Amino acid sequence: MQTRTKLNTIGRNTHRKDGIGKVTGTEQYASDVSVPRAWYGGVLRSPHAHARIASIDTSAAEALGAVCLTFADVPRVKYNERTNCAPPHLYRDRYVLDDTARHVGEAVAAVAAPTRALAEKALRAIKVEYEVLPAMLCAADALKDGAPKIHETILYRGKETPIEHNVAVTRLIEVGDIEKGFAEADSIIEREFEAAPVYHAQMETKSVVCKPAVDGSITVWATTQSIHNTRQLLAEIYGLPLHKINVKKIAIGGTFGSSIQMNSVVPICVGLAIKSGRPVKIATTREEDMYDHCRYQVRITLKLGFKADGTLVAGHMKTTVELGAHNTQGYHFLGVIAGFWVSLYKLPNMKYEGTAVYTNRTPSCAMQGFGAPQATFVTEVIMDEIAELLGRDPVEYKLTQYRGLGDTFWGQGPTVKSIILSDGVPELLEVGAKKIGWDGRPVPGTQTGRFRRGIGMARSFHCSGVGQPRKTGAEMIDYSGAIVKLNEDGSIDYIQSLMDHGGGTCEAIAKLVAEEIGVPLSMVGISDVDTNTTVYDITTHATRGVFAGGAAALKAAKSVKAKILDYASQLLDIMSESLVIEPSEELGQGVIYCPGYPEKRMTLGELAKYLHVNSWGTIAAVESLHPVTAPPAYVTYFVEVEVDTETGVVKTLAAALGSDCGTVVNPGLAAGQLTGGLSKGAGCALIEAHQWDRQTGELASKGFWVDGKTLSILETPLLENLHIDFAHTYEPTGPFGAKGIGEASINPALAAYSNAIYNALGIRFREVPITAEKILAALSTKKVRRTQPAQRELVNS
Amino acid sequence: MKRQTVRFTINGEARELAVYPNDLLLNVLRDQESLTGTKYGCGIGECGACTVQVDGAPTLSCLKLAVSVDGCKVVTIEGLAKGNQLDPVQEAFLDNSAVQCGFCTPGMVMMGRALLDEKPRPTEQEVRDHMRGSLCRCTGYASIVRAIMVAGEKAELS
Repeated sequence: MQTRTKLNTIGRNTHRKDGIGKVTGTEQYASDVSVPRAWYGGVLRSPHAHARIASIDTSAAEALGAVCLTFADVPRVKYNERTNCAPPHLYRDRYVLDDTARHVGEAVAAVAAPTRALAEKALRAIKVEYEVLPAMLCAADALKDGAPKIHETILYRGKETPIEHNVAVTRLIEVGDIEKGFAEADSIIEREFEAAPVYHAQMETKSVVCKPAVDGSITVWATTQSIHNTRQLLAEIYGLPLHKINVKKIAIGGTFGSSIQMNSVVPICVGLAIKSGRPVKIATTREEDMYDHCRYQVRITLKLGFKADGTLVAGHMKTTVELGAHNTQGYHFLGVIAGFWVSLYKLPNMKYEGTAVYTNRTPSCAMQGFGAPQATFVTEVIMDEIAELLGRDPVEYKLTQYRGLGDTFWGQGPTVKSIILSDGVPELLEVGAKKIGWDGRPVPGTQTGRFRRGIGMARSFHCSGVGQPRKTGAEMIDYSGAIVKLNEDGSIDYIQSLMDHGGGTCEAIAKLVAEEIGVPLSMVGISDVDTNTTVYDITTHATRGVFAGGAAALKAAKSVKAKILDYASQLLDIMSESLVIEPSEELGQGVIYCPGYPEKRMTLGELAKYLHVNSWGTIAAVESLHPVTAPPAYVTYFVEVEVDTETGVVKTLAAALGSDCGTVVNPGLAAGQLTGGLSKGAGCALIEAHQWDRQTGELASKGFWVDGKTLSILETPLLENLHIDFAHTYEPTGPFGAKGIGEASINPALAAYSNAIYNALGIRFREVPITAEKILAALSTKKVRRTQPAQRELVNS
Repeated sequence: MKRQTVRFTINGEARELAVYPNDLLLNVLRDQESLTGTKYGCGIGECGACTVQVDGAPTLSCLKLAVSVDGCKVVTIEGLAKGNQLDPVQEAFLDNSAVQCGFCTPGMVMMGRALLDEKPRPTEQEVRDHMRGSLCRCTGYASIVRAIMVAGEKAELS
């Protein structure tokens, strides 16, 4: 369905408005902000995975001229640094600074000093006596009977609530009757999977600047995906009214989910600034950043029952998630794994049991895909296996079972239900299969040379935001606001607190506004804003930026347009319904006219000037919007790999990536989302794992990027072997038919690589990353096994 | 520790700065000269975000002592455009959607410029080999490779 035939701005590649600052080095990120008289802040971090602070002496540091901050100096307010969940689902277990360290690298104290060198010297001068406690560095240890508690109690629904066996949260979700479902199944398959924790490795380390004023107000520049949530949480901790906290919107150097929460250094910096009465800046090191956050470690057992014709009838998933030292969003994470799993394929009977466990490791938080990469890995590898067992082409088989047009879709968990109204999956699978040479793929396990090639396919989606139709009771807060105003010369200010991680979200929204009002894109400016001058926007997360944030701006643009036409109607003596506005590149203006009466026309600039000189006032609108759907942004992956059986190294030879993001707003940047997703996804599939020393709790990489390697420019496919396609769809509930894309672009990667390596070697890998070591070990085991009878994969019921 | 005087040019301007012997060029550029386009990504030469040119050679400013550039010509990302006229590499990054979060962009552009100075029409593999020390987490590198190749092609045509 296409409701607009002509688009002037949407779908065109343009120089992104913030691009000029980025290519000339003048764009400012939090660590680039300099404020007169600012001091350098630094954080003292625990060398122990679990320890109580027996004593802390800052006198020597203070004697050097530093201002010091310990747990005794900060408000004893327990909080959860991610406030996207509605309060009934918030688990509060951390303080700005605590008397207990729960992972190596956790903040113990902080200093501010006039120079960087003095701050470092002062940190070394702080004397801390630790009472070292037993550390639980994996879920198995943490869950053992009698294991020491990582948290005695947490604050939940206003009450201090005991934590038992280090289990932070569990979820049980059931639909239908799985016993009945499995009884009806002709075959049942059960498999175990594991996905390692991964470091986000965003280019910018977390930074913050805080400037206090004499009236007690503060201004904050922080690496964050939500300036309003940062402001709210600082208000909660420091007991300030919201109007006294102004958080500035500033460029962010990639986050991939790592700054959905208010970063731990933000309230520390604020504490230092308040105590010292000076501006303070903290820019964390790469090592500190690597100890700060990572993706969840997930173990999943999936049992699926299906009929002889392949119809899925029942599924049972059990999930154990390692949270690390703090429960940032465990409840929600468990829910979305279930949601993404059951929304991939039609499953009439399902049971999901999820457990999230505390460990003495770096706290986990959302990373691009948030549960979807793991749920997709499990599901798409098992579906590949079922297709093989049934003797069917995986593409053909999956098309008979997937949730598509007209089906119910859960998105982010059981409270986020909607009906699928746009679906590009069949188109994308057809084009992807053709471009990768799917029909010519090898038969698994038939190759014998050193280098073996394989093609794997997986499909997934991400929900566009977490919108849902219910008026109350949602797990997640989800709304955006925007202001649009017409300036006195006919140009437009687009004003929104929504953050752009770099994907071009604000650029896309500026295009939506330009398209709606009818002005050239050059006449829309993206305003530099802060929390004091904008209305609330939840966070740029959950692939909601263009779909939900864009919809809010579009609503404001529609209000502005209606007012423009109302005034133009008076000035041109034409009914407003008969007027249109179109951009004129030649005039550099929007032109208001009546088709059929060509003399009845004026530019938007002329109208705006008339309103100004005659004191008719400013045309502006502020709107807030809660989306009632969260449509699936589908992505399909076909990857061709070459496995070196002597070294175990896997090389990506080619990839065909497809996206159904509805109307494509920024084609070049949208393609960049997919190629970025492939690069990061391939890293997670093949090499990346955030590993800890089992004795000390230190990172195996020691916080060095080269030892926690991500893929380089040498390890991505050549341009001629990289195919990007967009589905020709239109989402009726999206702004100009657009859906999301961001997170979806990584979701199929783990499964696509596992399936491709299976295709090359005939060996299934159900643990990621599929490292060279794992491949060599599996190849050597397989040689021994070759003489044994093939394992029966199916249990006939 | 005593400060030392170091004289060099930054983006064509002569500078005389008092720096400590252990001051890194990266920090001097950012903190003393407010040239914050040169980014800290890792501090130990792993990511390439801090790349500048020293006497025409791409250099990791996080591994370079400021005292060691005495008498040198230092060019940072801020010095690449001629007034409002962008360098062809900068232009090509914008044309080819090679800028996402932008944090790696200064280092990428400086490396790309250095390659084209040496080899005006590099092959794709030469671009990749040259850029292998510069990390980007947003783009998956495809648009960056394309931008540098296009910048080379355009320069040849003009």
